[in-house]
Amino acid sequence: MKTIAKTSFAVAALVAGTIGTAEARDQLRIVGSSTVFPFASYVAEELGATTKWPTPVIESTGSGGGMKLFCAGNGLDTPDITNASRQMKVSEFERCQENGVTDITQAVIGYDGIAFAQSKDNDPINLTREQITLAVAKEVPQGGKLVPNPYKNWSEIDSSLPDREIIIYGPPTTSGTRDAFEELVMEAASEEIDGYGGEYTKIRQDGVYVPSGENDNLIVQKLEQNTDAFGIFGYSFLEENEDKLQGAKIDGVAPEADAISSGEYPVSRSLFFYIKNSHADDVPAMSDYVELFMSEKMIGEIGYLKGIGLIPLPKDVREDMRERVAEREQLELSDLK
Amino acid sequence: MSQSLDDISRQLKARHRKSRRLHWMSMTALLLAGAFLLAFLADMIGKGYPAFVQAEIQAEIHYSEMAKDIPLAAVDEDMRELVSRGFLRLIPNEMEANPELLGTTRMRWVVADDQVDQYLKGHYHQLDDEQVAIVDRLVEEGRADLRFNTYFFTNGDSKLPEIAGIQAAVVGSILTLFVTLAFAFPVGVMTAIYLEEFAPDNKFTQAIEININNLAAVPSILFGLLGLAIFINFFGVPRSSALVGGLTLGLMTLPIIIISSRAALRSVPDSIRQAAFGVGATRWQVVRDHVLPLSLPGILTGSIIGLAQAMGETAPLIIIGMIAFIPDAPNSITQAATVMPAQIFTWAGMPERAYIERTAAGILVLLSVLITLNASAVYLRKKFERRW
Amino acid sequence: MTQLMQTDQILMAFFGGLLPLGALAFFLGRSKAVRVREEGVHMHSQPDQYAWFAVFSTALPAVVLGLLASLAFLVIGQMLPAPMVLTIALAVGAGGMWWGLNAIRPEFRARDFNEASVRWALLLASLVSIITTFGILLSIVFEAVRFFQMESFWYFITGTEWSPGAAFLEGAGRAAEDASDARFGAVPLFVGTFMITAIAMLVAVPIGLLAAIYMSEYAPEKVRTLAKPVLEVLAGIPTVVYGFFAAITVAPMIVTAAESIGLEASFNNALASGVVMGIMIIPFISSLSDDVISSVPSAMRQGSLALGTTRAETIRFVVVPAALPGIISATLLGVSRALGETMIVVMAAGLRPNLSWNPLEDMTTVTVRIVDALTGDQAFESAETLSAFALGLVLFAVTLSLNFVSVIMIKRFREKYRSSNL
Repeated sequence: MKTIAKTSFAVAALVAGTIGTAEARDQLRIVGSSTVFPFASYVAEELGATTKWPTPVIESTGSGGGMKLFCAGNGLDTPDITNASRQMKVSEFERCQENGVTDITQAVIGYDGIAFAQSKDNDPINLTREQITLAVAKEVPQGGKLVPNPYKNWSEIDSSLPDREIIIYGPPTTSGTRDAFEELVMEAASEEIDGYGGEYTKIRQDGVYVPSGENDNLIVQKLEQNTDAFGIFGYSFLEENEDKLQGAKIDGVAPEADAISSGEYPVSRSLFFYIKNSHADDVPAMSDYVELFMSEKMIGEIGYLKGIGLIPLPKDVREDMRERVAEREQLELSDLK
Repeated sequence: MSQSLDDISRQLKARHRKSRRLHWMSMTALLLAGAFLLAFLADMIGKGYPAFVQAEIQAEIHYSEMAKDIPLAAVDEDMRELVSRGFLRLIPNEMEANPELLGTTRMRWVVADDQVDQYLKGHYHQLDDEQVAIVDRLVEEGRADLRFNTYFFTNGDSKLPEIAGIQAAVVGSILTLFVTLAFAFPVGVMTAIYLEEFAPDNKFTQAIEININNLAAVPSILFGLLGLAIFINFFGVPRSSALVGGLTLGLMTLPIIIISSRAALRSVPDSIRQAAFGVGATRWQVVRDHVLPLSLPGILTGSIIGLAQAMGETAPLIIIGMIAFIPDAPNSITQAATVMPAQIFTWAGMPERAYIERTAAGILVLLSVLITLNASAVYLRKKFERRW
Repeated sequence: MTQLMQTDQILMAFFGGLLPLGALAFFLGRSKAVRVREEGVHMHSQPDQYAWFAVFSTALPAVVLGLLASLAFLVIGQMLPAPMVLTIALAVGAGGMWWGLNAIRPEFRARDFNEASVRWALLLASLVSIITTFGILLSIVFEAVRFFQMESFWYFITGTEWSPGAAFLEGAGRAAEDASDARFGAVPLFVGTFMITAIAMLVAVPIGLLAAIYMSEYAPEKVRTLAKPVLEVLAGIPTVVYGFFAAITVAPMIVTAAESIGLEASFNNALASGVVMGIMIIPFISSLSDDVISSVPSAMRQGSLALGTTRAETIRFVVVPAALPGIISATLLGVSRALGETMIVVMAAGLRPNLSWNPLEDMTTVTVRIVDALTGDQAFESAETLSAFALGLVLFAVTLSLNFVSVIMIKRFREKYRSSNL
């Protein structure tokens, strides 16, 4: 019994000693898109290594999951920043407003091109968005009505294309990359093709289009192994594997940093993060993080993030954005499309 | 129908042949399972051991005024791409801490870029011919070498593979398991004691028993959903913290601890209980002073095995936010933390190839801890095993 | 200051105050009892029992009050001023101590009181597991119901097309007119899960069972004591490690092998995940079967051998049939393990809902969909995210029923052979 009593005293002393070690929140909490995740982690690590702040915690929850957490309220247990590979939706904005998260600043950090890539063993190829749409659509217009997609071979779509089996590894339905692909390729092309009646974004499910994880090393192996195949993924992944893969030209433009930055390459999207300004005072690391992220050293023409695949904004847009973020311009409903 | 003795002896031969066949087949099965284990371990060691060495190069570091603002300027131009950014970016901090460095130049062994590392290990690399020539020259001069990789054990996660390590994940694992144990061990043992020593044999007790067996079979990912809904959303435990991870894993480990503790309690013969009751002890005194001490080795063994399982679990942690970029080791259970299997999962998905060997190396570290835990459980079982 | 830090501090302060108070109660109670005893008065209980009673009477009211306060916080969402609650709780604790110390009298039955308290505490602990089950159900059911309000339950169970594409658009706030096109027929997911589970069991059951037979019937004692823990290492390897192994080593091997015999295999083929999962499950089957086979009464073996059967015949016609319920229940446990396994398939299996019986094709499973939906980019209220909970519910129901079958099997075995080793 004596030992028990002794231990309980020791434990009590220990517990009493730890009271007061709790501190104000220095650590930034960031959630959101898996596409922005590598860039944000890079900045976070830099912040942790070179300043007095602890490294921010970054969770890859997907854009939607991030918005849900971000908009849950103003409490300090909610994230300070959410990354997104698409703009905030109106419904998400309204949700934020309902929960009192009204002072939000939107930052655009750059572009992510969506590449249509194949193995290096192939000849370079030039595809149009219409051709790609016809290859991946669930149905194609024939004789005035939609029939299940019969194409198994690229040359069936257009005789100028090689005699090559159509097989495409692309993002799954849960991915923002797929959303962007549908919008930028299929929706745009289906407006040009008679018979789709405007917006058509259904993707075939007969095994020609194979949903795959987007940041998956396996997709490279697959493309190497099956030289007929194409893969759809973010430009950064293409760049990382340039020894094995090449990007197809789309509408005559190759997926290269300059073309994406200038908007010439048709399939690219902006990457965002959103700042919860109500946390600015309680989480002092936030302004340093934002400043570092928006700095030329990170998102500039020769910034570090370019080295890992971020396409910088054009110079004037970038400077304008930096200024607007520095002023913490408040996001309005009218800013969202 | 009668059979001749010849027939019978022929038959007998066939029957014995069959019998031997089963013997061989069953032995092969066991060997096959052992072979799987060996093949697996060999594969992991083969993939993982290169990560325990890391390329370092000797470079001149110029602590100039310029290096304060542009750390890249601290090394000669031809070396800029070869030295790790993880080292360079710390130069301004270093100069601030030691002002006397300003204006000096020092030869130092510094960690090299992951591409140099991969080149020296003979893997695929992205260095151009010129850089390869420089590295080759450095090697000849003895200024570039593969050395023991201390960063792997002293650093947390990083976007730069050459300085990525598992230290933060190890600390996170320890904190998480501490919470798991602090929660699951007392509750598990108490439940086992109740069911074995106190509970009346009625429908309610049976319901608890069946329920515990069920819990042991529930897919671990559902525990993640539970952790999200109950601990994070209802009780407001901070996301990604060792506390929520430990509690979730604790609930998952609970049935394992209960089942093994019950087996240990049951193996204590009734004569001991009867003797204690006979001298007037109460039920709780019997349990506390006689049954529990005798069954403790068994209970500990089961708990260690449960703990080992919790340590390797990943799926529920995805749901409660522990699979994240968390390079700093947590220093309290409410801070964001990651654990070893989560770190392995993150690395496995990285595009840079230097991470593959780090993944395998992380696996080796995790496995050696797990095997140590399991081995100590077996040892405990053997050492304290008692036949009544 | 965050709310969480406060919780942290409150808890620390609470226990920091309570522990010394409890210790004080222990010593005061004990010394009082000892004093009374030394006066030569006969006491009902031992001094330590009085001491513990004093501790209980101190801690219980304080803890109950603390719990009530936090419950009030959770229910009304309003934080009562923490220092006030703390002071009151500690004061109540002190009051409890005073009362407890006063109650220590020779005729007071502290032992009975302690006995009852211990019993209640143990009962409370054993309720945790029941609460956990309800917690799991509660955390899935609400979202699952919301999903079934959006999508038909019948089609979910029987439909063969899983294409949440349009649901994604809806979730993303674009093109709502397409919403009716979302298809949540989960049969392809069930088939993928079933396929991978079947492959796993094809690997695990023969190897596991034969290994168990060898260990319990043939192997010398030394081999057995060595082999069992070594095999259990296979079960102890984290699943994320198996996933890495399946994706990086086994899958490419299978692709190369399939190509060499002229077959086309996907890099996410179901075979790789299945085989690796099978390896993982071997020890579950072998260990449990080994226990069951060893507990078949040896009188049965002796009887059989005495009739002149060979060893193999005894095993095949006597031992294994006798142990069959146990073996089946071990297998069912393995099946529920395989159904719910997540990391191996997340890392190595595909994402394509594929209704096919070819194990070389890529397939997806229920658990992969759950992880994918919960970590994806779409809005949380979208049908696709909610489908994760519906799938979780199905998984829960299936493992539950498998387990009931296995409990019944074990019970039957126990009754048949009156073996208590299970």
